[in-house]
Amino acid sequence: MQQSLKNGGAGLGLKRELISQIQESFGEQEVAGIDFLEIAPENWINAGGKAAKQLAWMSEHYALVCHGLSLSLGGPDPLNFHFLHQVQKFLDCHQISLYTEHLSYCAAGGYMYDLLPIPFTEEAVYHVAERIKQTQDVLGRRIAVENASYYVAAPIAEMDELSFIKAVLEEADCDWHLDVNNVYVNSVNFGFDPQAFLQKAADENLGKRIVYGHTAGHYQEAPDLLIDTHGSMVIEPVWALLAQAYHLFGVFPTLLERDTNIPALLDLIPEVLRIKALQTSQVVSVS
Amino acid sequence: MTKLMNLQDYQIAFARHIRDPDNITPPEYVSERGMAVYREVVFNNIESSVSACFPILKKILGDDLWLRLVRDFFKTQACKTPIFREIPEEFLAYINGLADLPSYGQDLAHYEWVELHLAYMDVAIDWSKIDTDANLLEGILAFVPAMRLLSYNYPVHQISPAVIPQMQLESPVQLLVYRDVQDVIKFVELNPMTTSLLKDLLEGEFTPRKVLMDIASAMKVDSPDLILGFGLELLKDLKAQGAILGIQIN
Repeated sequence: MQQSLKNGGAGLGLKRELISQIQESFGEQEVAGIDFLEIAPENWINAGGKAAKQLAWMSEHYALVCHGLSLSLGGPDPLNFHFLHQVQKFLDCHQISLYTEHLSYCAAGGYMYDLLPIPFTEEAVYHVAERIKQTQDVLGRRIAVENASYYVAAPIAEMDELSFIKAVLEEADCDWHLDVNNVYVNSVNFGFDPQAFLQKAADENLGKRIVYGHTAGHYQEAPDLLIDTHGSMVIEPVWALLAQAYHLFGVFPTLLERDTNIPALLDLIPEVLRIKALQTSQVVSVS
Repeated sequence: MTKLMNLQDYQIAFARHIRDPDNITPPEYVSERGMAVYREVVFNNIESSVSACFPILKKILGDDLWLRLVRDFFKTQACKTPIFREIPEEFLAYINGLADLPSYGQDLAHYEWVELHLAYMDVAIDWSKIDTDANLLEGILAFVPAMRLLSYNYPVHQISPAVIPQMQLESPVQLLVYRDVQDVIKFVELNPMTTSLLKDLLEGEFTPRKVLMDIASAMKVDSPDLILGFGLELLKDLKAQGAILGIQIN
Protein backbone atom coordinates (compact mmCIF):
# COMPACT_ATOMS: atom_id res chain seq x y z
CA MET A 1 0.00 0.00 0.00
CA GLN A 2 1.51 3.26 -1.06
CA GLN A 3 0.47 6.17 1.06
CA SER A 4 1.73 9.66 1.55
CA LEU A 5 3.36 10.28 4.89
CA LYS A 6 3.96 13.94 4.16
CA ASN A 7 1.97 15.12 7.17
CA GLY A 8 3.88 13.09 9.67
CA GLY A 9 2.47 9.86 10.93
CA ALA A 10 3.50 7.34 13.55
CA GLY A 11 4.89 3.92 12.84
CA LEU A 12 6.10 0.74 14.36
CA GLY A 13 8.98 -1.57 13.44
CA LEU A 14 7.77 -4.88 12.06
CA LYS A 15 9.33 -7.50 14.30
CA ARG A 16 8.62 -11.21 13.84
CA GLU A 17 7.19 -11.34 17.35
CA LEU A 18 4.51 -8.83 16.34
CA ILE A 19 3.45 -10.18 12.94
CA SER A 20 0.51 -12.33 13.97
CA GLN A 21 -0.73 -9.70 16.44
CA ILE A 22 -0.62 -7.05 13.72
CA GLN A 23 -2.58 -9.29 11.35
CA GLU A 24 -5.17 -10.30 13.93
CA SER A 25 -5.79 -6.79 15.23
CA PHE A 26 -5.99 -5.09 11.83
CA GLY A 27 -9.00 -2.78 11.60
CA GLU A 28 -9.50 -2.65 15.38
CA GLN A 29 -9.72 0.71 17.09
CA GLU A 30 -6.78 -0.04 19.43
CA VAL A 31 -4.28 -0.20 16.58
CA ALA A 32 -5.74 2.62 14.46
CA GLY A 33 -2.81 4.81 15.54
CA ILE A 34 -0.30 2.83 13.46
CA ASP A 35 0.11 4.77 10.21
CA PHE A 36 2.97 2.73 8.78
CA LEU A 37 5.34 -0.16 9.44
CA GLU A 38 9.09 -0.15 9.03
CA ILE A 39 11.02 -3.16 7.78
CA ALA A 40 14.68 -3.96 7.26
CA PRO A 41 15.07 -5.04 3.62
CA GLU A 42 17.83 -7.42 4.77
CA ASN A 43 15.22 -9.50 6.57
CA TRP A 44 12.86 -9.87 3.61
CA ILE A 45 14.89 -9.84 0.39
CA ASN A 46 14.74 -13.26 -1.30
CA ALA A 47 12.55 -14.63 1.46
CA GLY A 48 9.98 -17.12 0.20
CA GLY A 49 7.45 -19.31 1.96
CA LYS A 50 5.65 -18.00 5.01
CA ALA A 51 7.76 -14.82 5.15
CA ALA A 52 6.77 -13.89 1.59
CA LYS A 53 3.09 -14.32 2.43
CA GLN A 54 3.44 -12.23 5.59
CA LEU A 55 5.19 -9.47 3.70
CA ALA A 56 2.54 -9.48 0.97
CA TRP A 57 -0.12 -9.08 3.65
CA MET A 58 1.74 -6.23 5.33
CA SER A 59 2.33 -4.44 2.08
CA GLU A 60 -1.37 -4.73 1.21
CA HIS A 61 -2.61 -3.43 4.56
CA TYR A 62 0.01 -0.90 5.66
CA ALA A 63 2.31 1.72 4.20
CA LEU A 64 5.88 0.41 4.47
CA VAL A 65 9.15 2.20 5.03
CA CYS A 66 12.52 0.50 4.53
CA HIS A 67 15.32 1.07 6.99
CA GLY A 68 18.48 -0.76 5.98
CA LEU A 69 21.21 -2.27 8.10
CA SER A 70 23.81 -3.75 5.78
CA LEU A 71 24.69 -1.15 3.19
CA SER A 72 27.79 -0.06 5.12
CA LEU A 73 27.79 3.44 3.67
CA GLY A 74 30.85 4.48 5.64
CA GLY A 75 32.88 1.30 5.42
CA PRO A 76 36.22 0.30 3.94
CA ASP A 77 34.85 -2.71 1.98
CA PRO A 78 33.59 -1.89 -1.54
CA LEU A 79 29.94 -0.86 -1.83
CA ASN A 80 27.90 -4.02 -2.53
CA PHE A 81 26.23 -3.21 -5.85
CA HIS A 82 24.70 -6.66 -6.16
CA PHE A 83 22.89 -6.06 -2.87
CA LEU A 84 21.96 -2.53 -3.90
CA HIS A 85 20.24 -3.88 -7.00
CA GLN A 86 18.38 -6.36 -4.82
CA VAL A 87 17.23 -3.46 -2.65
CA GLN A 88 16.09 -1.56 -5.72
CA LYS A 89 14.05 -4.52 -6.95
CA PHE A 90 12.60 -4.99 -3.49
CA LEU A 91 11.55 -1.33 -3.15
CA ASP A 92 9.94 -1.36 -6.59
CA CYS A 93 8.21 -4.68 -6.06
CA HIS A 94 6.57 -3.56 -2.82
CA GLN A 95 6.09 0.06 -3.89
CA ILE A 96 8.11 1.42 -1.00
CA SER A 97 9.15 5.02 -1.56
CA LEU A 98 11.31 5.74 1.48
CA TYR A 99 14.60 3.94 2.09
CA THR A 100 16.92 5.08 4.84
CA GLU A 101 20.29 3.80 6.04
CA HIS A 102 22.81 4.55 8.76
CA LEU A 103 25.74 6.92 8.95
CA SER A 104 27.94 4.02 10.00
CA TYR A 105 29.55 0.90 8.56
CA CYS A 106 29.09 -2.81 9.07
CA ALA A 107 31.57 -4.43 6.69
CA ALA A 108 35.35 -4.34 7.13
CA GLY A 109 37.08 -7.42 5.77
CA GLY A 110 33.62 -9.05 5.47
CA TYR A 111 30.30 -8.26 7.09
CA MET A 112 30.22 -7.73 10.88
CA TYR A 113 26.39 -7.43 11.11
CA ASP A 114 26.48 -4.48 13.47
CA LEU A 115 26.85 -0.72 13.20
CA LEU A 116 30.36 0.62 13.68
CA PRO A 117 31.21 4.32 14.02
CA ILE A 118 32.57 6.40 11.16
CA PRO A 119 35.40 8.70 12.27
CA PHE A 120 34.34 12.31 11.72
CA THR A 121 37.05 13.28 9.25
CA GLU A 122 37.02 15.19 5.99
CA GLU A 123 38.17 12.09 4.15
CA ALA A 124 35.18 10.24 5.62
CA VAL A 125 32.78 12.96 4.52
CA TYR A 126 33.81 12.50 0.88
CA HIS A 127 33.94 8.71 1.17
CA VAL A 128 30.42 8.42 2.63
CA ALA A 129 28.95 11.11 0.40
CA GLU A 130 30.32 9.40 -2.70
CA ARG A 131 28.73 6.10 -1.67
CA ILE A 132 25.42 7.79 -0.88
CA LYS A 133 25.48 9.34 -4.36
CA GLN A 134 26.18 5.96 -5.93
CA THR A 135 23.32 4.48 -3.92
CA GLN A 136 20.93 7.23 -5.02
CA ASP A 137 22.02 6.70 -8.63
CA VAL A 138 21.31 2.96 -8.54
CA LEU A 139 18.02 3.35 -6.69
CA GLY A 140 16.92 6.30 -8.82
CA ARG A 141 15.73 8.17 -5.72
CA ARG A 142 16.94 10.18 -2.77
CA ILE A 143 17.72 8.29 0.37
CA ALA A 144 17.90 9.50 3.96
CA VAL A 145 20.75 8.69 6.32
CA GLU A 146 20.37 8.32 10.05
CA ASN A 147 22.60 9.89 12.69
CA ALA A 148 23.91 6.80 14.49
CA SER A 149 24.61 6.11 18.12
CA TYR A 150 28.25 5.33 18.88
CA TYR A 151 30.50 4.50 21.81
CA VAL A 152 34.01 5.32 20.68
CA ALA A 153 35.14 8.78 19.61
CA ALA A 154 37.77 8.36 16.92
CA PRO A 155 41.09 9.93 17.86
CA ILE A 156 41.52 10.80 14.20
CA ALA A 157 38.30 12.89 14.19
CA GLU A 158 38.61 16.40 12.78
CA MET A 159 35.12 17.74 13.50
CA ASP A 160 32.13 17.24 15.78
CA GLU A 161 29.20 14.99 14.90
CA LEU A 162 26.83 17.67 13.69
CA SER A 163 29.46 19.23 11.42
CA PHE A 164 30.05 15.76 9.99
CA ILE A 165 26.34 15.10 9.43
CA LYS A 166 25.88 18.51 7.78
CA ALA A 167 28.89 18.03 5.53
CA VAL A 168 27.73 14.58 4.40
CA LEU A 169 24.12 15.65 3.79
CA GLU A 170 25.24 18.63 1.73
CA GLU A 171 28.02 16.90 -0.16
CA ALA A 172 25.80 13.93 -1.07
CA ASP A 173 22.66 16.05 -1.38
CA CYS A 174 20.58 13.52 0.48
CA ASP A 175 17.95 13.60 3.21
CA TRP A 176 18.26 13.22 6.96
CA HIS A 177 16.68 10.50 9.05
CA LEU A 178 16.78 12.10 12.50
CA ASP A 179 16.98 9.68 15.42
CA VAL A 180 16.35 11.70 18.57
CA ASN A 181 17.23 8.81 20.86
CA ASN A 182 20.63 8.56 19.19
CA VAL A 183 21.15 12.28 19.74
CA TYR A 184 20.33 11.75 23.40
CA VAL A 185 22.48 8.61 23.81
CA ASN A 186 25.47 10.33 22.22
CA SER A 187 24.93 13.50 24.25
CA VAL A 188 25.22 11.50 27.48
CA ASN A 189 28.10 9.34 26.31
CA PHE A 190 30.11 12.25 24.94
CA GLY A 191 28.91 15.06 27.17
CA PHE A 192 27.13 17.57 24.96
CA ASP A 193 23.77 19.33 25.18
CA PRO A 194 21.23 17.49 22.96
CA GLN A 195 18.88 20.47 22.75
CA ALA A 196 21.72 22.70 21.61
CA PHE A 197 22.54 20.02 19.01
CA LEU A 198 19.02 20.23 17.55
CA GLN A 199 19.01 24.03 17.73
CA LYS A 200 22.32 24.13 15.87
CA ALA A 201 20.91 21.76 13.23
CA ALA A 202 18.06 24.26 12.81
CA ASP A 203 20.47 27.19 12.65
CA GLU A 204 22.45 25.35 9.98
CA ASN A 205 19.22 24.97 7.99
CA LEU A 206 19.33 21.16 8.09
CA GLY A 207 15.63 20.88 8.95
CA LYS A 208 14.63 21.00 5.28
CA ARG A 209 16.41 17.68 4.79
CA ILE A 210 14.61 15.79 7.58
CA VAL A 211 12.12 13.35 6.06
CA TYR A 212 11.87 10.69 8.73
CA GLY A 213 12.50 10.11 12.41
CA HIS A 214 13.11 7.46 15.03
CA THR A 215 12.55 7.43 18.72
CA ALA A 216 13.43 4.59 21.06
CA GLY A 217 14.39 3.48 24.53
CA HIS A 218 17.91 2.60 25.61
CA TYR A 219 19.76 0.90 28.43
CA GLN A 220 21.64 2.81 31.08
CA GLU A 221 24.82 0.90 31.84
CA ALA A 222 26.24 3.79 33.88
CA PRO A 223 25.10 7.38 34.42
CA ASP A 224 27.50 8.40 31.66
CA LEU A 225 27.16 5.32 29.43
CA LEU A 226 23.93 4.58 27.57
CA ILE A 227 23.57 1.61 25.23
CA ASP A 228 21.21 2.01 22.28
CA THR A 229 19.33 -1.28 22.79
CA HIS A 230 15.81 -0.28 21.69
CA GLY A 231 14.74 -2.56 24.52
CA SER A 232 12.65 -0.36 26.81
CA MET A 233 10.23 2.55 26.82
CA VAL A 234 11.20 5.98 25.50
CA ILE A 235 12.31 8.19 28.40
CA GLU A 236 11.00 11.71 29.06
CA PRO A 237 14.11 13.63 27.94
CA VAL A 238 13.91 11.85 24.57
CA TRP A 239 10.21 12.71 24.20
CA ALA A 240 11.19 16.31 24.95
CA LEU A 241 13.77 16.16 22.14
CA LEU A 242 11.16 14.84 19.72
CA ALA A 243 8.80 17.67 20.68
CA GLN A 244 11.64 20.14 20.20
CA ALA A 245 12.46 18.63 16.80
CA TYR A 246 8.84 18.98 15.64
CA HIS A 247 8.85 22.55 16.90
CA LEU A 248 12.07 23.41 15.08
CA PHE A 249 11.63 21.43 11.88
CA GLY A 250 7.89 20.74 11.55
CA VAL A 251 6.46 17.23 11.87
CA PHE A 252 7.88 14.23 10.01
CA PRO A 253 6.85 10.55 9.99
CA THR A 254 8.31 9.00 13.10
CA LEU A 255 8.84 5.43 14.16
CA LEU A 256 8.82 3.87 17.58
CA GLU A 257 11.79 1.47 17.51
CA ARG A 258 11.57 -1.61 19.67
CA ASP A 259 14.02 -4.36 18.77
CA THR A 260 14.66 -6.29 21.98
CA ASN A 261 12.58 -7.24 24.99
CA ILE A 262 9.50 -6.88 22.79
CA PRO A 263 6.19 -6.64 24.66
CA ALA A 264 2.69 -7.35 23.36
CA LEU A 265 1.58 -5.12 20.49
CA LEU A 266 -1.02 -3.31 22.59
CA ASP A 267 1.63 -2.36 25.13
CA LEU A 268 3.51 -0.48 22.40
CA ILE A 269 0.49 1.49 21.23
CA PRO A 270 0.59 4.19 23.95
CA GLU A 271 4.04 5.25 22.72
CA VAL A 272 2.86 5.24 19.09
CA LEU A 273 -0.07 7.42 20.14
CA ARG A 274 2.25 9.76 22.00
CA ILE A 275 4.18 10.35 18.76
CA LYS A 276 0.89 11.24 17.09
CA ALA A 277 -0.14 13.49 19.94
CA LEU A 278 3.13 15.42 19.72
CA GLN A 279 2.64 15.79 15.98
CA THR A 280 -0.94 16.97 16.38
CA SER A 281 -0.11 19.52 19.06
CA GLN A 282 2.73 20.85 16.93
CA VAL A 283 0.46 21.22 13.89
CA VAL A 284 -2.19 22.92 16.04
CA SER A 285 0.30 25.30 17.62
CA VAL A 286 1.57 26.60 14.28
CA SER A 287 -1.83 26.92 12.59
CA MET B 1 52.51 11.18 19.38
CA THR B 2 52.76 8.86 16.41
CA LYS B 3 51.30 9.88 13.09
CA LEU B 4 47.51 9.44 12.99
CA MET B 5 46.13 6.65 10.86
CA ASN B 6 44.20 7.35 7.71
CA LEU B 7 40.48 6.57 7.60
CA GLN B 8 40.63 3.13 6.08
CA ASP B 9 43.53 1.89 8.21
CA TYR B 10 41.77 3.11 11.32
CA GLN B 11 38.49 1.39 10.43
CA ILE B 12 40.21 -1.87 9.57
CA ALA B 13 42.23 -1.82 12.80
CA PHE B 14 39.04 -1.06 14.73
CA ALA B 15 37.20 -3.98 13.13
CA ARG B 16 40.12 -6.39 13.49
CA HIS B 17 40.30 -5.73 17.21
CA ILE B 18 36.56 -6.43 17.58
CA ARG B 19 36.98 -9.70 15.69
CA ASP B 20 40.02 -10.83 17.67
CA PRO B 21 40.42 -8.83 20.89
CA ASP B 22 42.78 -11.37 22.51
CA ASN B 23 45.42 -10.98 19.84
CA ILE B 24 44.90 -7.63 18.18
CA THR B 25 45.16 -4.37 20.09
CA PRO B 26 42.64 -1.59 19.42
CA PRO B 27 43.70 1.55 17.54
CA GLU B 28 45.67 3.93 19.74
CA TYR B 29 43.90 6.45 21.96
CA VAL B 30 40.41 4.95 21.79
CA SER B 31 38.31 4.64 24.94
CA GLU B 32 38.60 1.20 26.50
CA ARG B 33 35.08 1.41 27.89
CA GLY B 34 33.64 2.21 24.46
CA MET B 35 35.62 -0.58 22.78
CA ALA B 36 34.26 -3.01 25.39
CA VAL B 37 30.72 -2.16 24.27
CA TYR B 38 31.53 -3.02 20.66
CA ARG B 39 33.42 -6.21 21.59
CA GLU B 40 30.42 -7.47 23.51
CA VAL B 41 27.52 -6.26 21.35
CA VAL B 42 28.95 -7.31 17.99
CA PHE B 43 30.02 -10.78 19.10
CA ASN B 44 26.74 -11.46 20.94
CA ASN B 45 24.81 -10.48 17.86
CA ILE B 46 26.75 -12.90 15.65
CA GLU B 47 26.61 -15.65 18.26
CA SER B 48 22.84 -15.43 18.63
CA SER B 49 22.35 -15.52 14.84
CA VAL B 50 24.41 -18.69 14.61
CA SER B 51 23.01 -20.33 17.75
CA ALA B 52 19.43 -19.85 16.58
CA CYS B 53 20.11 -22.14 13.63
CA PHE B 54 22.18 -24.84 15.35
CA PRO B 55 20.61 -25.48 18.78
CA ILE B 56 21.43 -29.22 18.90
CA LEU B 57 25.03 -28.79 17.76
CA LYS B 58 25.51 -26.03 20.32
CA LYS B 59 24.07 -28.16 23.12
CA ILE B 60 26.23 -31.17 22.24
CA LEU B 61 29.46 -29.21 21.89
CA GLY B 62 28.93 -27.33 25.15
CA ASP B 63 29.37 -23.60 25.73
CA ASP B 64 33.18 -23.53 25.82
CA LEU B 65 33.82 -25.22 22.51
CA TRP B 66 30.81 -23.53 20.93
CA LEU B 67 31.95 -20.02 21.87
CA ARG B 68 35.46 -20.83 20.74
CA LEU B 69 34.11 -21.96 17.34
CA VAL B 70 31.92 -18.90 16.88
CA ARG B 71 34.80 -16.63 17.88
CA ASP B 72 37.08 -18.33 15.38
CA PHE B 73 34.35 -18.09 12.74
CA PHE B 74 34.04 -14.36 13.40
CA LYS B 75 37.83 -13.97 13.26
CA THR B 76 38.50 -15.92 10.10
CA GLN B 77 35.41 -16.00 7.89
CA ALA B 78 35.07 -12.92 5.67
CA CYS B 79 31.27 -13.10 5.45
CA LYS B 80 29.98 -12.11 2.04
CA THR B 81 26.24 -12.00 2.62
CA PRO B 82 24.49 -8.82 3.76
CA ILE B 83 21.40 -10.92 4.56
CA PHE B 84 21.23 -11.81 8.25
CA ARG B 85 19.43 -15.12 7.89
CA GLU B 86 22.30 -16.32 5.67
CA ILE B 87 24.86 -16.01 8.47
CA PRO B 88 24.35 -19.72 9.36
CA GLU B 89 25.29 -20.66 5.79
CA GLU B 90 28.56 -18.77 6.26
CA PHE B 91 29.07 -20.74 9.48
CA LEU B 92 28.48 -24.01 7.57
CA ALA B 93 31.17 -22.98 5.11
CA TYR B 94 33.49 -22.19 8.03
CA ILE B 95 33.10 -25.59 9.74
CA ASN B 96 33.64 -27.49 6.50
CA GLY B 97 36.69 -29.65 7.17
CA LEU B 98 37.25 -28.24 10.66
CA ALA B 99 39.33 -30.57 12.86
CA ASP B 100 37.84 -29.36 16.19
CA LEU B 101 34.44 -30.78 15.37
CA PRO B 102 33.28 -34.33 16.17
CA SER B 103 32.99 -36.55 13.08
CA TYR B 104 29.20 -36.19 12.88
CA GLY B 105 29.34 -32.40 13.42
CA GLN B 106 29.12 -31.32 9.81
CA ASP B 107 26.28 -33.66 8.97
CA LEU B 108 24.36 -32.50 12.02
CA ALA B 109 24.99 -28.83 11.26
CA HIS B 110 23.84 -29.28 7.68
CA TYR B 111 20.70 -31.07 8.84
CA GLU B 112 19.90 -28.24 11.26
CA TRP B 113 20.61 -25.59 8.62
CA VAL B 114 18.50 -27.17 5.86
CA GLU B 115 15.30 -26.49 7.82
CA LEU B 116 16.01 -22.74 7.82
CA HIS B 117 17.17 -22.91 4.22
CA LEU B 118 13.96 -24.52 2.97
CA ALA B 119 11.71 -22.35 5.15
CA TYR B 120 12.99 -19.23 3.38
CA MET B 121 13.79 -20.65 -0.07
CA ASP B 122 12.41 -18.12 -2.52
CA VAL B 123 10.26 -20.39 -4.64
CA ALA B 124 6.49 -20.51 -5.01
CA ILE B 125 4.06 -23.09 -6.37
CA ASP B 126 2.48 -22.26 -9.72
CA TRP B 127 -0.79 -24.16 -9.48
CA SER B 128 -1.73 -23.25 -13.06
CA LYS B 129 0.99 -25.62 -14.24
CA ILE B 130 -0.06 -28.57 -12.06
CA ASP B 131 -2.81 -31.16 -12.49
CA THR B 132 -3.53 -32.32 -8.96
CA ASP B 133 -6.06 -35.03 -9.93
CA ALA B 134 -4.22 -36.84 -12.70
CA ASN B 135 -2.93 -40.40 -12.49
CA LEU B 136 0.54 -39.98 -11.00
CA LEU B 137 2.03 -42.69 -13.21
CA GLU B 138 1.26 -40.91 -16.46
CA GLY B 139 3.03 -37.55 -16.33
CA ILE B 140 6.11 -35.72 -15.18
CA LEU B 141 5.71 -35.32 -11.43
CA ALA B 142 5.27 -31.89 -9.84
CA PHE B 143 7.11 -31.89 -6.52
CA VAL B 144 6.89 -29.06 -4.01
CA PRO B 145 9.56 -26.63 -5.17
CA ALA B 146 11.28 -26.19 -1.79
CA MET B 147 12.67 -29.69 -1.45
CA ARG B 148 16.01 -31.45 -0.97
CA LEU B 149 16.86 -35.14 -1.13
CA LEU B 150 19.71 -35.57 1.34
CA SER B 151 22.09 -38.29 2.36
CA TYR B 152 23.95 -38.27 5.68
CA ASN B 153 26.64 -40.60 7.01
CA TYR B 154 25.28 -40.26 10.54
CA PRO B 155 21.71 -40.60 11.87
CA VAL B 156 21.37 -36.82 12.12
CA HIS B 157 17.63 -36.97 12.74
CA GLN B 158 18.19 -38.93 15.98
CA ILE B 159 21.18 -37.07 17.42
CA SER B 160 20.73 -35.34 20.76
CA PRO B 161 22.95 -34.85 23.82
CA ALA B 162 21.67 -38.26 24.98
CA VAL B 163 22.15 -39.96 21.60
CA ILE B 164 25.66 -39.37 20.24
CA PRO B 165 26.63 -41.56 17.29
CA GLN B 166 29.84 -43.51 17.87
CA MET B 167 30.56 -44.33 14.24
CA GLN B 168 29.37 -43.81 10.69
CA LEU B 169 26.32 -45.72 9.47
CA GLU B 170 27.03 -48.69 7.22
CA SER B 171 24.75 -47.16 4.65
CA PRO B 172 23.88 -43.47 4.76
CA VAL B 173 20.50 -42.30 5.99
CA GLN B 174 18.35 -40.80 3.23
CA LEU B 175 16.04 -37.93 4.04
CA LEU B 176 13.52 -36.12 1.92
CA VAL B 177 13.13 -32.63 3.38
CA TYR B 178 10.58 -30.21 2.01
CA ARG B 179 8.32 -27.24 2.73
CA ASP B 180 4.67 -28.25 2.33
CA VAL B 181 1.85 -25.99 1.09
CA GLN B 182 1.21 -24.82 4.65
CA ASP B 183 4.89 -23.76 4.80
CA VAL B 184 5.70 -26.44 7.36
CA ILE B 185 9.08 -28.17 6.98
CA LYS B 186 8.74 -31.95 6.84
CA PHE B 187 11.39 -34.65 7.09
CA VAL B 188 10.71 -38.12 5.66
CA GLU B 189 13.18 -40.97 6.03
CA LEU B 190 13.45 -43.06 2.87
CA ASN B 191 14.65 -46.59 2.16
CA PRO B 192 17.35 -47.04 -0.49
CA MET B 193 14.91 -48.24 -3.15
CA THR B 194 12.59 -45.26 -2.72
CA THR B 195 15.57 -42.94 -2.74
CA SER B 196 16.80 -44.31 -6.02
CA LEU B 197 13.32 -44.08 -7.56
CA LEU B 198 12.90 -40.47 -6.38
CA LYS B 199 16.30 -39.52 -7.72
CA ASP B 200 15.23 -40.69 -11.15
CA LEU B 201 11.86 -38.98 -10.90
CA LEU B 202 13.37 -35.70 -9.66
CA GLU B 203 15.34 -35.50 -12.90
CA GLY B 204 11.95 -34.64 -14.40
CA GLU B 205 12.64 -36.39 -17.68
CA PHE B 206 10.43 -39.46 -17.58
CA THR B 207 7.02 -40.46 -16.29
CA PRO B 208 6.85 -42.74 -13.25
CA ARG B 209 5.42 -45.46 -15.52
CA LYS B 210 8.50 -45.39 -17.73
CA VAL B 211 10.91 -45.31 -14.76
CA LEU B 212 9.08 -48.17 -13.02
CA MET B 213 8.92 -50.25 -16.23
CA ASP B 214 12.68 -49.81 -16.59
CA ILE B 215 13.17 -51.00 -13.02
CA ALA B 216 10.90 -54.01 -13.70
CA SER B 217 12.85 -54.99 -16.79
CA ALA B 218 16.19 -54.54 -14.99
CA MET B 219 14.87 -56.83 -12.27
CA LYS B 220 13.68 -59.25 -14.98
CA VAL B 221 10.22 -59.61 -13.39
CA ASP B 222 7.64 -61.34 -15.58
CA SER B 223 4.77 -59.03 -14.79
CA PRO B 224 5.60 -55.36 -14.14
CA ASP B 225 2.16 -54.76 -12.56
CA LEU B 226 3.46 -55.50 -9.09
CA ILE B 227 6.21 -52.90 -9.47
CA LEU B 228 3.82 -50.36 -10.99
CA GLY B 229 1.36 -50.95 -8.16
CA PHE B 230 4.05 -50.60 -5.54
CA GLY B 231 5.33 -47.43 -7.18
CA LEU B 232 1.89 -45.86 -7.44
CA GLU B 233 1.16 -46.50 -3.77
CA LEU B 234 4.45 -44.89 -2.85
CA LEU B 235 3.75 -41.80 -4.96
CA LYS B 236 0.23 -41.51 -3.54
CA ASP B 237 1.70 -41.69 -0.08
CA LEU B 238 4.18 -38.88 -0.87
CA LYS B 239 1.30 -36.87 -2.32
CA ALA B 240 -0.69 -37.39 0.90
CA GLN B 241 2.34 -36.16 2.82
CA GLY B 242 2.56 -33.08 0.64
CA ALA B 243 5.86 -33.75 -1.13
CA ILE B 244 4.22 -34.42 -4.50
CA LEU B 245 1.54 -32.04 -5.74
CA GLY B 246 0.40 -33.78 -8.96
CA ILE B 247 1.72 -33.91 -12.48
CA GLN B 248 3.04 -31.06 -14.57
CA ILE B 249 0.90 -29.47 -17.26
CA ASN B 250 2.82 -28.19 -20.25
